[in-house]
Amino acid sequence: MASHHESILREPLITGKNITYSRITEEVLMPVENKPNRAWWIGFIVAAAGAGLWLFAVSYTFWYGIGSWGLNKTVGWAWDITGFVWWVGIGHAGTLISAVLLLFRQNWRNSINRSAEAMTIFAVICAATYVVSHMGRPWLAYWPLPLPNQFGSLWVNFNSPLVWDVFAISTYFSVSLVFWYVGLLPDIATIRDRATGLRRKIYSIMSFGWNGSVKTWQRFEIVSLVLAGVSTPLVLSVHTIVSMDFATSVIPGWHTTIFPPYFVAGAIFSGFAMVQTLLLVTRKVLGLENYITMFHIESMNKIIVLTGSIVGVAYLTELFIAWYSGAEYEQYAFLNRVSGPYAWAYWIMMTCNVITPQLFWFKKVRTNIPLSWILSIVVNIGMWFERFVIIVTSLHRDYLPSSWAMFYPTWVDISIFIGSIGVFFTLFLLFIRVLPSVAMAEVRLLVKSSSEQAKKKLMAEGKVKAHEAEYYVESLEKYDSVEQAEYEKI
Amino acid sequence: MESTKKYWKGLEEINKTPEFVEKNKNEFAESLPIEELLEGSGLKAATPRRDFLKAMGFGLGAVSLAACNVAPVQKSIPYLIKPEEITPGIPNYYASSYKGGSILVKTREGRPIKVEGNPNCIINKGGLSAQAQATVLDLYDISKLKGPWFKGAEQSWEDIDQHVKGELNKIQASGKTIAIVSSTINSPSSKAVIADFTTQFPSTKHITIDPVSYAGIITANEASFGKAVLPQYRFDKANVIVSFGADFLGSWISPVQFTKQYVSNRGMASLNEKRMSRHIQFEAGMSMTGTNADSRIAIKLSEEGPALLALYAAVTGSSLGNSSLGENKVADSAIKLAAKELLNAKGAALVVAGSNDVATQTIVNAINSALGSYGTTIDLDNPSYQFTGKEADFSVLLADMKAGKVGAVMFLDANPVYSLPNTKEFAEALKKVSLTISFSDREDETASLCQLIAPNHNFLESWGDANAVEGYYSLVQPTINPIYNTRQAEQSLLIWSNNPVSDYYTYVRNNWEKSVLLAAGKKWDEILQSGFVVLPAKAVGATVFAGNVAAAASFVSAQSKSVAKDVELHVYQSVAIGSGQQANNPLLQETPDPVSKVTWDNYAALNPKYAESLGLAQYDVVTLKGGEYQIDLPVLFQPGQAQGTVSVALGYGRTKAGKVADGVGQNAYPFLAMSNGTFQFANNVTISKTGAIEELAQTQTHHSFEGRNIIREATFAQYKEDAAHGSGNHGAKHETYDLWNKYEQPGHNWVMAIDLNACTGCGACIVACNTENNVPVVGKDEVRRRRDMHWIRIDRYYTFNEEGKQITEEKEIDHIEGRMENVSVVHQPMMCQHCEHAPCETVCPVLATVHSTEGLNHMAYNRCVGTRYCANNCPYKVRRFNWFNYWNDSRFDNYLNNEFTQLVLNPDVTTRSRGVMEKCSMCIQRIQAGKLKAKIEKRPLVDGDVKVACQQTCPANAIVFGDANDPNSEVSKALKNERTYYVLEEINVQPGVGYMTKITNTGLQEA
Repeated sequence: MASHHESILREPLITGKNITYSRITEEVLMPVENKPNRAWWIGFIVAAAGAGLWLFAVSYTFWYGIGSWGLNKTVGWAWDITGFVWWVGIGHAGTLISAVLLLFRQNWRNSINRSAEAMTIFAVICAATYVVSHMGRPWLAYWPLPLPNQFGSLWVNFNSPLVWDVFAISTYFSVSLVFWYVGLLPDIATIRDRATGLRRKIYSIMSFGWNGSVKTWQRFEIVSLVLAGVSTPLVLSVHTIVSMDFATSVIPGWHTTIFPPYFVAGAIFSGFAMVQTLLLVTRKVLGLENYITMFHIESMNKIIVLTGSIVGVAYLTELFIAWYSGAEYEQYAFLNRVSGPYAWAYWIMMTCNVITPQLFWFKKVRTNIPLSWILSIVVNIGMWFERFVIIVTSLHRDYLPSSWAMFYPTWVDISIFIGSIGVFFTLFLLFIRVLPSVAMAEVRLLVKSSSEQAKKKLMAEGKVKAHEAEYYVESLEKYDSVEQAEYEKI
Repeated sequence: MESTKKYWKGLEEINKTPEFVEKNKNEFAESLPIEELLEGSGLKAATPRRDFLKAMGFGLGAVSLAACNVAPVQKSIPYLIKPEEITPGIPNYYASSYKGGSILVKTREGRPIKVEGNPNCIINKGGLSAQAQATVLDLYDISKLKGPWFKGAEQSWEDIDQHVKGELNKIQASGKTIAIVSSTINSPSSKAVIADFTTQFPSTKHITIDPVSYAGIITANEASFGKAVLPQYRFDKANVIVSFGADFLGSWISPVQFTKQYVSNRGMASLNEKRMSRHIQFEAGMSMTGTNADSRIAIKLSEEGPALLALYAAVTGSSLGNSSLGENKVADSAIKLAAKELLNAKGAALVVAGSNDVATQTIVNAINSALGSYGTTIDLDNPSYQFTGKEADFSVLLADMKAGKVGAVMFLDANPVYSLPNTKEFAEALKKVSLTISFSDREDETASLCQLIAPNHNFLESWGDANAVEGYYSLVQPTINPIYNTRQAEQSLLIWSNNPVSDYYTYVRNNWEKSVLLAAGKKWDEILQSGFVVLPAKAVGATVFAGNVAAAASFVSAQSKSVAKDVELHVYQSVAIGSGQQANNPLLQETPDPVSKVTWDNYAALNPKYAESLGLAQYDVVTLKGGEYQIDLPVLFQPGQAQGTVSVALGYGRTKAGKVADGVGQNAYPFLAMSNGTFQFANNVTISKTGAIEELAQTQTHHSFEGRNIIREATFAQYKEDAAHGSGNHGAKHETYDLWNKYEQPGHNWVMAIDLNACTGCGACIVACNTENNVPVVGKDEVRRRRDMHWIRIDRYYTFNEEGKQITEEKEIDHIEGRMENVSVVHQPMMCQHCEHAPCETVCPVLATVHSTEGLNHMAYNRCVGTRYCANNCPYKVRRFNWFNYWNDSRFDNYLNNEFTQLVLNPDVTTRSRGVMEKCSMCIQRIQAGKLKAKIEKRPLVDGDVKVACQQTCPANAIVFGDANDPNSEVSKALKNERTYYVLEEINVQPGVGYMTKITNTGLQEA
């Protein structure tokens, strides 16, 4: 579907000379088929240490009780649900890229969807660990599932947003996993065909008997479309439901109808920031500059500035509505956010999510790799604080001032959060070692139509109007992976 | 017909081979390896396949059968012969007394688990203090001694008796004094025992000393009226009450009794009759009584004397020299107004002072006399015997001890080494005494310096009696066999004095039969049931004031001048810990102070403005130095505290009280100053910053209600005009809509009404709830982390009255320029509101919290997975989460991690494990028990059958519980009151607990 004719005006999605199918395979599979380099080892050891910290802190919590966290009778959720929502939100970019962009025929998704989907899955795993670990009695974590049981046939409470959450997250996880894995099949088959011995056997099982026939490809395309159709509503529904954990409550600052769209925008915002954070590094370390190009980076930055602005409008709307409502408790909740003891968190959130992403209006910033990377991390920080502000500042001062309290995290809270990042990166680093981090099959589709060399060939053959060619060459200036000198001749 | 056919079984048979014939001789053709098997060699043979399978089958079966038994074995011992009066599961109630007030002790399977006030008791009238509620836990205190202690080891009582008798005879022979040092003893039988002992050993002296003394009042009354007694005050008969630093609702003499009296003129019943007393409080520290006053005026301790003199002048019209209040213009005009009001209420006026100074009390007597209070609001002829201690007697003893004139000292309920200002001196003197005995139940500060400890029973193990006030005799009866090898002190005295009656039960009974029972014409068994006897009150005689006012006035002036130095120290008893006698009781340590909401500590209370001027911040640790003695305490900002004063609670800083109290807070007793023969609560200290910071464990850290209409108030004048004033009950209510279908409530609908004007904030309900519902004590660190588990709390909010306007919002309070002295306080009990539209219920994923058809919000602990969503979504924040396994986690071993103390638990209420949410259940076990009882008796449940724990103990009757479906129930009537409003009713959660507006009788000031 991607091999149709493409206008020269469109920027290339693959850069570099002499890109062949086999070269793509070689380059993408380089980390999978070779011993890891030092950078990987350093990264892995740091990440695994983080995961170890997570394991220790969670075990400590399970052994002694939730009391080892900084929660109290007033603030019953803090870093746990902040972390949960943060991770779930991060996952959203993967689904958006793989499903929505597929349906909209956005071919630039082909180079980044694999890592983004992997990121989704790992982020949801991190989120799910919070779901279990924040429970007072985690050994009963299966009780919120509507399972047939012998406890007098107790059912779950379908009125509870937490039950909706259980459905939302588990659906999300399973659909994302299936979608990701189905997409992997042709690539796994490629690895299988190139591998020998035990590795071949393993990849052979994992490839589900992919034989590369036309029928297989046809089915693959159809399944991908179907799954994209199934996933698309999830992009909207999952975070909508997560937002209902708050929106359906009576707590001022939570009880807000704006939450569903605001949460979804925020989720995509943070998800793209996380993709950006990861891919800018992966691209460099794995040498994938030709496949993940400046076009991708810039496109994602555009999405970040858009969703960041949506989030900013939501923040201002909340403030306006609080004032306009005339509701005493609502007004105080927002006054307290802006100027109370946690105002510093609010202003970190405002700065990181609304003000700094506005820099992406400037093309120079959008196409500057170090700046993009820094800003993506700033957004991640800002989005963590957004959830912290929503959860903690709403709870810590609600209706009765006698119960107002402050929340102070303990070392366990902090360790579990840092540890969850460790878990995430451990999984991600293992992933890039065993599975292709770029969807080879889908990138190959682009070589003939959307690659720099294809377009160059067209230009060389003189099939392109001169002014269009000029425009095209101009657009290539931002690319760090294009040798500008070659175009001077033309 | 006989068959002649023969069938053969084989060719061998037909041929009859010799082998066959041989084999056929035996039953079994082949020989069986029985011998081999029995010898054991058979077992050594290689196992055949079948045997292997058999063994495996058996093994599997056996293992799986054995594995089926997963339930842990619970050893319970059934009654071999069931005692007639005990039915497992059914509580028994016994009448007894606590501090002279009649109580009912609830026992289950032979162990006391709860005390309730005896509704017929003339002192308590069914109400109890926090201390009385907590006292069951004292019985199960593991810090107690397990037997008599002598020469550093446990000994038998025989050895002790032999030794003591021998020593006593020797001392008697040498002519030295035998001193019995006790706190107030008003038990007629104990007194008789001591009298008998004195007959046997004539050199015996009985010295009474109370940690917190009322000798000033007693001595002043002797001088003024010739009656050396502590009178009975009648706050119920007083229309105008003026108190000078007397915390009569919290800690002064008999707080529960006074609360009952006080509230009778201020609660719902009297307000319905448009009747309300007026209460004016002049004080330095913010006392609980001060928080309830209609007008509270902060005065320094040094201004108390001049204020009283000014009041005397204003009331009588005759000046006593310098009676101006100097710079304190507010107090000056307040005194004049108070005098006017007192005079208007002549005959129904009462002036009380918390001072223990004889001269001060003489002035008070003169004022009361001028107001005609004697015979109306003060009864000198039917005095109180609750406190009879005299420190002057003790000073004599101390001198004698130093002089070596004392041969033996016995301490009965007295711990002078802890509670005296001059501990060192006393401890030195104690060394000169040859026989020192303590009857303490533990090795406390004094007992540890004694040679011998003869541990007394807990009162729940004892026989005894009390005569708290004139004509009121109550009985103490044991409710459990002595747990340890202890012996009642009186019995020890009987044995040591070779009394013919050596059994104290018989002694008490004999004593009652020849005196009280005779006078009352009742039988012993009747008294065992009813618990007390009331003899007719004595006629009130004429009272003529004959005190020397002029002398007293000049003494008071001089005294005030000597105190008027920076910084004036005020030592007081906190409501929960009191004198510190029950300090080792974790329930009391964790009961928040009614005013400061601090637990597990005492502190230096300073006015925020004054503290700022000293450069001190909240929680800064400061050194308080007075004379030789100094202590380090954290600073607490106390609005309402007089400038230039610091208040410190007594009862803390125990060093040998036991596991709970040791090292909690600092001892303030050494700051008591001896003056004119009595200990004074006022002194001077210097304050210096240590640089350390210690966060106090407060259950509430935000103190203003931010102008929210969760608190609704009116003045008495407004109330008289319009009973619904300020309650929001005017005009049509907002129309509300329901998301849910209405459901039927055919049976009961349990609701509650709370009278904010009655609640004094004392916190007795908190302790009652804790003992009834097995609420764990979590300790200082956990409270600091805001994790107290109390199911009922009392929210206390301050309002500042500055420049004629009320300030309730934090941002404005921060900018108050004034002195932060003019403070109003409101107490609001808060527990689960059992909302009809409970926000907690909809959000629980597993239906662990659900609504009953009786309007209750239930909590199914077993189903709870601990997401805490319900607590987050509770607008009242009344849900409590078990952050740890407080019952079985050695890191929180405040008291409960041992099997002995766990005997105090109420078996009707399950203990909650870690990770589970809990909250007020409206004592569902009591509701069930009440319904069951009615069912067995084949009658409908009537109003009053079920009382919840907080309601039952409330000395102010501020809590009414009952069935809203019964239009005639007390609670239905209360909720129909014009003053009733619901907290946060605007969010339409439809709470089941109604509150009644707080009414302040601002009196003349408004006019």
